Amino acid sequence: MEPKYVSLEMRDYIVSMGAETVNWCMQCGLCTNLCPWRLVPGETSEKFNIRHMQRLGQMGMEGFEDEHILFACTTCSMCQSNCPRGVKIVDNVRAMRASIVGAGMAPANLRPILGSAHANGNPWSGPREKRTAWQQGLDVPTFGPDSEYFLFVCCHSCYDPRSTKVAQSIVKLLKAAGIRFGVIGNEESCCGESMRKLGDEELFQKLAQSNIELFNAKGVKKIITTSPHCLWTFTQEYPELGGQWEVIHYTELLAQCVQDGRLKLAPNASKKVAFHDPCYLGRHSGIFDAPRQLLERTADGGAVELSRSRELSLCCAGGGGRIWAEVPMGERFGELRVMDAMDKGAEVLATACPYCMNMLIDACNSLGKQEQLEIAELSELLAAAL
Amino acid sequence: MDKKIGVYICTGCGIGDALDVSALAKVATGEHKVPVCREHGFLCGEEGRALIADDISNHGVNTVVIAACSPRVMTDVFDFGADKVLERVNLREQVVWSHPAGDEDTQMMAEDYLRMGLTKAKEMEPPVPFQGENLSKRILVVGGGLTGLTAAKEAAAAGYEVVLVEKSQSLGGYLQTVHSVPPLAPPYDQPHTFDLDGLVSAVTGNEKITVYTGSQIKKIVGAPCMFDVTIQSNGSQASERVGAIVLATGSVPYEADKLGHLGYGKHGDVITADRLEAMLKEGRVVRPSNGQAAKSVAFVLCAGSRDPEHLPYCSAACCVESLKQAKVLKEQNPEMPVYIFYKDMRATGNYELFYKQVQKDGVVFVRGTVTAVEDDGSGALTVSAEDVLTRAPIVSESVDLVVLATGMVSTASLGKPYKAQQPKEGEEELEVPADTILVSNLLNLEYRQGPEVPALKYGFPDSHFICFPYESRRTGIYPAGTVRAPMDYARAMDDAAGAALKAIQCVEMTAQGKAVHPRAGDLSYPEFFMQRCTQCKRCTEECPFGAINEDEKANPLPNPTRCRRCGVCMGACPERIISFKNYSVGMIGNVIKNIDVPEEDEEKPRIVVLACENDAYPALDMVGIRRAQYNPWVRVIPVRCLGSMNLVWIADALSKGIDGILLLGCKHGDDYQCHFVKGSELANIRMSKIKETLDRLVLESDRVRFEQVSITDYARLPQILDDFAATLENVGPNPYKGF
Repeated sequence: MEPKYVSLEMRDYIVSMGAETVNWCMQCGLCTNLCPWRLVPGETSEKFNIRHMQRLGQMGMEGFEDEHILFACTTCSMCQSNCPRGVKIVDNVRAMRASIVGAGMAPANLRPILGSAHANGNPWSGPREKRTAWQQGLDVPTFGPDSEYFLFVCCHSCYDPRSTKVAQSIVKLLKAAGIRFGVIGNEESCCGESMRKLGDEELFQKLAQSNIELFNAKGVKKIITTSPHCLWTFTQEYPELGGQWEVIHYTELLAQCVQDGRLKLAPNASKKVAFHDPCYLGRHSGIFDAPRQLLERTADGGAVELSRSRELSLCCAGGGGRIWAEVPMGERFGELRVMDAMDKGAEVLATACPYCMNMLIDACNSLGKQEQLEIAELSELLAAAL
Repeated sequence: MDKKIGVYICTGCGIGDALDVSALAKVATGEHKVPVCREHGFLCGEEGRALIADDISNHGVNTVVIAACSPRVMTDVFDFGADKVLERVNLREQVVWSHPAGDEDTQMMAEDYLRMGLTKAKEMEPPVPFQGENLSKRILVVGGGLTGLTAAKEAAAAGYEVVLVEKSQSLGGYLQTVHSVPPLAPPYDQPHTFDLDGLVSAVTGNEKITVYTGSQIKKIVGAPCMFDVTIQSNGSQASERVGAIVLATGSVPYEADKLGHLGYGKHGDVITADRLEAMLKEGRVVRPSNGQAAKSVAFVLCAGSRDPEHLPYCSAACCVESLKQAKVLKEQNPEMPVYIFYKDMRATGNYELFYKQVQKDGVVFVRGTVTAVEDDGSGALTVSAEDVLTRAPIVSESVDLVVLATGMVSTASLGKPYKAQQPKEGEEELEVPADTILVSNLLNLEYRQGPEVPALKYGFPDSHFICFPYESRRTGIYPAGTVRAPMDYARAMDDAAGAALKAIQCVEMTAQGKAVHPRAGDLSYPEFFMQRCTQCKRCTEECPFGAINEDEKANPLPNPTRCRRCGVCMGACPERIISFKNYSVGMIGNVIKNIDVPEEDEEKPRIVVLACENDAYPALDMVGIRRAQYNPWVRVIPVRCLGSMNLVWIADALSKGIDGILLLGCKHGDDYQCHFVKGSELANIRMSKIKETLDRLVLESDRVRFEQVSITDYARLPQILDDFAATLENVGPNPYKGF
């Protein structure tokens, strides 16, 4: 085998891009064993080994650029949450991607997505002026001096026809709870969370700056997010760029409203419901109980826990930009998740993230289980119980 | 001693319920005509003990036989002074707790045990402790490095006079050329500057410590508390009498000249870790090839270690030492590229925190085998390795210095074997491997067995560290620090304190005529009836502790203070001239002869179990404590060590009509568990020679069996005993019954 050459210059470059903890890694391999890619067969599973990828980063050695390696990680944080050395593995992945994407070498399939985010402020190739199309038929208040909260709707729920129901349900629930909220509208841009994970640092900075300037100009103090991804970047990445607001995921706010009696829900569903913890809501943000408290209020048929839940939840495979990846059937984590739900006798698999909903629906359809298992966003179940 | 025997039968703990106690008492009063025999329901209670004490004080009882619980328990309660003879008959654990109550066989067993105990009591004499002359409690420390200095300081702090002998002109050993040591205190992320001057002046300024520098041990004669040491200094000699010895001569680095495959000797900039340490101490790390400052460094760990071609073992300290050197370099210049090529990073305990810090400092760690250290063409060096973690061969960037972390070689291993081991010709016979003694010129003992302590694996004079920390196979000599085993500074200091304490225990016990570990406190010692000695040398050869010297006519010259009282010599002696006041070949022989052997038609076979009292006997007690049942034909005789078994006992038992003999000894071999190193192995070898005896008696070899058991084997024991009994049933009864 041809030897590989160590390059400390390359290593230092990756560190400067954000892989500050890559040297902490002692290569124990716990990350690789915990990685959901170990649960599926296929080319990506065979090629992608997060320990090995970090090893290449530590030594500044080539070999990590392969798309199946560099872009495989879903940033689910299963490894990072359990790393005995506290290595920020997701940051290391992001930095290594940035070292390639930043040099203009983004893979072909990602270019239209990054391009759309650049041009339209969303990765879904949706025209900016259609950002509020989901509001049709609903009287959605505009954010103004009377609004306590600014409701930031994820691009996915602005443009994806199935996902718009999530935005609509949340609006209905907030209204029912008497929350004073408003949306800004077409000037909003994608939060950029996934863009940054894909390694497009420049694009992320642009989107973040645009949002921060807009929100601050409008006098935003508190934000409700529909997606845990927006929640995470607003709370973890925006503050150091100048975006300092009180940010809350809709499940947390609604759980509070239910608790203090502002929101009344009438249980109506007699189906057995299971909850899938989104990685960015659970492991990344530590929110496990709010969605469960809400679910209990709607489900008559009883809520069941999946075998892999809470801190050990299995990723849907939609994070880290993987929502745009083409994955052959049989290699999708979502399929395992659908089977997890069916194993527990669930009839509805609810989640609280538009990406998760998207991935789980695809998986359910590809398994042909849509008759047995309904995939729902929690807000939809809640709205139906109003 | 005129004996008046008192027998005391306890009926508590279920003994009274399971046995016919008055029938049992008749064995004492009837068969053995014992003048005093009493029963009590709670013998270990105040009243029970007072009963015995009263007989001793007021009725002249001086030989006490307690038929109650195991001799392993209640030892403090049933202690009537060293001038009394005490025998314990184990009715509880090994009779009533392990056999059915009210059964005829259980009763017979209890009666036999009482007979056996009475026989022993009649033959035992109270031991008279050995008292040498001009006893010394001073402690000799050989070696003035970190371990030796620490041992000297600790022993002096405990109030003992110390004689410290150091070969070189100054104290401090290797530490004198050391820049810093790995962290010793939280947060364990910084090298530590060791205060060697402070330690040296604490030793030289202590009036209890006599220091000889520039000196070596020319000769040591004698035994614990009576060692006469001749110290050779430049041109002059001094004599010191000491009680015990701490051997702290340390280690030397493995010869780097043998590491040509790592570039040593080929490239001037490949150096050893001790050379780098000296450069760090001098304050200038340079490339030897051109004298320029080194701007980048690669460490190669396990250089010649864990390598069958070189040192097969791990030196335990080099990983952390290299981490420390890398850390010092990074502190001097955080931008300096530093590589560490390693096999396994062994940074245990709190050193993990140090390892983590060095990783955070950006040192590049490469796990894998170094395949080449080569000139890159410009005079700098590249290191190539098979990197396990990327599964690929890799090449480092060019570095100015390559540092080889070489392992430790014990100074005790530097010498030729005292006795060349001859390859045997002809028929292979089981033989105890002789101790390897290397002439390393450290202690120069005038011992018949050789001038140094026996070397174990890789030439380290180590011990079975779990059972015998800091011990060597020479009583009173305690190796500590890297001469004993590879270790780092922190552990060497612990080792020094441990060995100093062992030395103190030794002089205190020996001065009272008592044995040291493992028969700590035993006052008996072997006595030789020299008129009948045939100068066969078996005792001197087989003593695991080199306790017996020899005169020019090959007569044994015992050194009682070197002795651990195992009785291996007693087992070895074909003339049976070696005995203890309270333990002898004749005594155990008589115990065997006093076992009641029923007639063949009664179909009650008898099995004598000779059980090592350190492991097998407590394991048998455990069977009872767990209330497991075993074969009622067995009669257990505890022995000090199975190595004290004399073959005549087997002949005695078989000619008496005993159907089988089972020897329960410790595990032997590399991971032996024998308290006396090779006692059970010796017993096994003697067993291999039993065939002759059996042939003479025309008996089947199945009648004698050896089993290795450890103290935790209690669950297995009933099966072992039952299996042996089944074998004997197949063989049939011993035809000598009733002869």
